[in-house]
Amino acid sequence: MNISSLKYLLSEGLKNVFKNWMMSVASICVLVICLILTGSAALFSMNISNALNTIEAQNSVAVFLNEDIETLEALQIGEQIKGLPNVLNCEFRSKEEVVEKFKDELGSIFDGVKSRNPFPHTFYVTLNDISKYPETAEQIQQIEGVEKVANHRDLFEKLTRFDKLISISGIFIVIVLGLISLFIISSTIKLTMYSRRFEISIMKSVGATDWFVRIPFIVEGIIIGIISAVISSLILKFLYDIIISYINSLIPFSHISFSSVSLPVFLSFIAAGIGFGLIGGLISIGKYLKKEGGEILGW
Amino acid sequence: MIEFKNVSKVYSNGTSALNNINLHIKKGEFVFIVGSSGAGKSTFLKLIMHEELPSSGIIYLDGIRITSISKKEVPYLRRKMGIVFQDFRLIDKMNVFDNVAFAMRVTGASEKDVKKRVPYILGLVGLQNKEIRRPAELSGGEQQRVSLARALVNNPSIIIADEPTGNIDPEMSYEIVELLTEINKRGTTILMVTHEHDLVKQFGKRVIEINDGVITSDR
Repeated sequence: MNISSLKYLLSEGLKNVFKNWMMSVASICVLVICLILTGSAALFSMNISNALNTIEAQNSVAVFLNEDIETLEALQIGEQIKGLPNVLNCEFRSKEEVVEKFKDELGSIFDGVKSRNPFPHTFYVTLNDISKYPETAEQIQQIEGVEKVANHRDLFEKLTRFDKLISISGIFIVIVLGLISLFIISSTIKLTMYSRRFEISIMKSVGATDWFVRIPFIVEGIIIGIISAVISSLILKFLYDIIISYINSLIPFSHISFSSVSLPVFLSFIAAGIGFGLIGGLISIGKYLKKEGGEILGW
Repeated sequence: MIEFKNVSKVYSNGTSALNNINLHIKKGEFVFIVGSSGAGKSTFLKLIMHEELPSSGIIYLDGIRITSISKKEVPYLRRKMGIVFQDFRLIDKMNVFDNVAFAMRVTGASEKDVKKRVPYILGLVGLQNKEIRRPAELSGGEQQRVSLARALVNNPSIIIADEPTGNIDPEMSYEIVELLTEINKRGTTILMVTHEHDLVKQFGKRVIEINDGVITSDR
């Protein structure tokens, strides 16, 4: 194919997008929603696994003592913990220190905590070998005066379950919306094809190959896909920044910044957009060329 | 150039459009196809253009057995023919130049060739000064010339004209057939379907008459 043909086919594809602009806008809207939902599910999942990694990396276990334990007693319990084989370090934090730390991190929410301190004395225990966590936790739990050993497994499992739930429902929603967008894109292209059936019949009569007839409509689908990808990337960035900064203002947490994933997100959106446009285009053209598109004299 | 051997066409709804047609059209011939409506003329053209396939029989075009070519080869077969329609089928939003150039562009011609070839062909059909006009600004006869220019621009070896004079006045009709005769003199085979017996008589060319799906006369 020469450059003239390529230019011709691309410009025809671009014209097609504007020919039925209302349908193009509808296709773009549905595809944008689809991409944003997929992107959100992916970003959510990435943040969850980031959180899981952070928890895993901190091989420190919080040990909460009974509420009525006095400071002196607490220090003795600390000695017992230190004596355990897998314990590397054991840092004491009194009730008051715990409240102060939370106040520092979370601010005004804890202003009211004056009259009665709800936190117990706490030890932060660093382990030699995190893989032996269950055994060590069990040993600590058995020391008298220990109320609870913060069980990372629980949090781990809860987060993993939540991540799975979001992923599965996300996949389901994306499949449904994906099918809807394919349907709308192919209908849009079908409409363009219908409005250009006259030109198509002339093209066929003078010997244009099926691919030459097809390409402008595929280009139309791809342009719709690319526009949707750009719009959804921008919207996703905007929404992500707002939501993250809101959640962060409530509970500070280590999150993934959008800029660190913007390129892969954008590229996968572009790839998905192109894929959708391409498939949508091929579906409608295939049907059209098989049926009425083959007619020249009697269209 | 065109050969039909025992060609019959029965449509899926049971209509028998052509029945055991045998004919031979030589390269460079000018042939009128006449017959009442529904006689099978359109089917005859559709078979040549490979828009329909015969139910039985063999068709050769330019030595190629077109009844057994693959779907992919059809576009290249069609580049051997130029088609002129009764209703001109010009694209309103394009000017005369682009209407003709369109036929070249969609077969992948370079813009350099388009710029060279289109003015030459428009000169040939007598429309050298109308390049930037829109079809709506032209008379019926002129529009048919544009349609003819479009059919000629890819240098086909055969022109198929489906009632090209059906929508224009008699004087213009004469001019169009005269133009086709000129093109024929340069070696292009012409196949023209028409209802107009008077026109046919004036030119004294070969006339094939089709009625009820059979050739009733060939003179």
